[in-house]
Amino acid sequence: MNLVRQMRNPVLLNELKVRMRSNRSALIISLYLLVLGGIAFAFIYLRTGWNQRFDPNGTRDIFLFLSVLQLAMICMFTPGLTSGVISGERERQTLSVLLTTNLTATKLIIGKWLSSLSFMTYLVLASLPLYAVVVLFGGVSPLQLIEVFALYLITMLGIGSVGVLSSTIFKRTGVSTVVTYALLFAYTAGTFMAAEFIRMVIERQRSLAGITAAAQPFPMWPDLLMSLNPLAAILRVFEVGPLPQTVSRTPAGNVVPLPMDPYWIYFAFFAVLAAVAIILAIYLIKPVRPRLGRR
Amino acid sequence: MIQIENLRKQYGKMEALKGLSLEIGKGQVFGFVGPNGAGKSTTMLILATLLEPTSGKAYVGGFDVVKQPREVRKLIGYMPDFFGVYDNVTADEYLDFYASNYDIPAAERREIIPKLLELVSLSHKRDAYVDSLSRGMKQRLGLARSLVHNPEVLILDEPASGLDPRARIELREILKELREMGKTILISSHILPELAEMCDVIGVIEGGEMVATGSVEEINARMQGQKLLKLRLLDRWDEAARLLRQMPLLTSVTREGNTLVAGFTGTDDEQVELLQRLVEAGLPLASFGEAEGNLEEIFLEITKGVGS
Repeated sequence: MNLVRQMRNPVLLNELKVRMRSNRSALIISLYLLVLGGIAFAFIYLRTGWNQRFDPNGTRDIFLFLSVLQLAMICMFTPGLTSGVISGERERQTLSVLLTTNLTATKLIIGKWLSSLSFMTYLVLASLPLYAVVVLFGGVSPLQLIEVFALYLITMLGIGSVGVLSSTIFKRTGVSTVVTYALLFAYTAGTFMAAEFIRMVIERQRSLAGITAAAQPFPMWPDLLMSLNPLAAILRVFEVGPLPQTVSRTPAGNVVPLPMDPYWIYFAFFAVLAAVAIILAIYLIKPVRPRLGRR
Repeated sequence: MIQIENLRKQYGKMEALKGLSLEIGKGQVFGFVGPNGAGKSTTMLILATLLEPTSGKAYVGGFDVVKQPREVRKLIGYMPDFFGVYDNVTADEYLDFYASNYDIPAAERREIIPKLLELVSLSHKRDAYVDSLSRGMKQRLGLARSLVHNPEVLILDEPASGLDPRARIELREILKELREMGKTILISSHILPELAEMCDVIGVIEGGEMVATGSVEEINARMQGQKLLKLRLLDRWDEAARLLRQMPLLTSVTREGNTLVAGFTGTDDEQVELLQRLVEAGLPLASFGEAEGNLEEIFLEITKGVGS
């Protein structure tokens, strides 16, 4: 009982209650599903027309398309949802009062982090039946469905944690939002471009030195960097995109295999990123920060 | 209950607190008075565990505000000078949220909240959305919020700022009730004169330093024996003022409507003499008496020139 009370997060419960009871939330969910469903039907129509039977092989493409679309939506909206959670409290002049209560900095940050992502998670989970219909047609395995949703979740948590950290560091929501979006853009574009650039440099050096793939396998660094890219990670679930040839479980023989599946590299990286950002935010939000040697 | 020892706070080159020391006993009501930027809010923020002092010590209930903030937070109810409220929550939900932040069980919360709303005369607004309340109501709700965990100490930073006269009176009545409940209250306000009757001790702060502490009477006595005399005249104010200015025992003469206010440093006998001279001069004197030394005047007197 005591443990349950300790685990209870008033910030999270309050935000969930307030956010979910508005009519606007129901409206947004309905519209979102209508748009997503509309896109799926439009996709089917464009491939087969109305009078022909749908080719189940096409479901994989719909699934891939919807998955990338939802990932893009997550990347687009998560910074906006999270980058004002602490600075917003500060601007609303409610933070100082919260910090004088028994609420710990950990509960405050985690409560704000999870509650800001709750609506997005709800939207993504609400689209699950749509995906399930696609899975029923065949062409996509239930494991791939789980992998895609797990990837959504970890991406939201990772990007969200950076938003929360930025919101803790910067006093103004505007600045925090711009910084979070800039970091996200630099990260997604940066990992892709850096991976490709490094690949080209290595290829050039190897060609100048006359090193062949048979003599010396290609280094794994470009693939390791590419594994951190959200788009490459989701494409990897469907074994397309820049990563499938370099997967350790299907080694091409001429590349140093990655230490683990790129999917899990991405997963581990975002989990560590989220943990570090949240721990830092917890430390920074404390008005009087603990110092070593102070007792 | 509250102990501050040589507290200093520096923001860059600006020194907001310059070695402030004070002690507030259990159940005492301490009025903190001083101009804007004097260091009142800085002191309160430090006591509320929201700001780290540059040096010095501050204790609440024997707990160090820097080293034992969690223990201090259990003891204090803090109300900042400006605070916001959440949208889309009712007064009941607002208090319930804060009570849950103090780990108060739901059953207990259901009992406490109506009592708190009654204390601040907001029972009728229990289901009203907080953002629909008037400023005065929000202040009262904020006060109820600071009381949800039944703290021993209340730190109220300008609780009456921006309130209309009626709301101020209502707030004063609530504070009186809290005083009777035995709470230790540290309150700062620019309407402190109105609260003089409920303050056991007042502290005048100026430029980060405590320039005077004591009861209203004690501080009044420090005004170098000066009295303020009030003379209400029906006419010939300028003539009366001229006459008064010629008298050596009067330090200042100002006119407020049909009343002249004069600073007087003489004895009671000399005061009788002064009245006789005014009557002899045939001035239409409707009333003559000593002005009660109120906090505003004390404050202006004590802080004049300090920090300049």
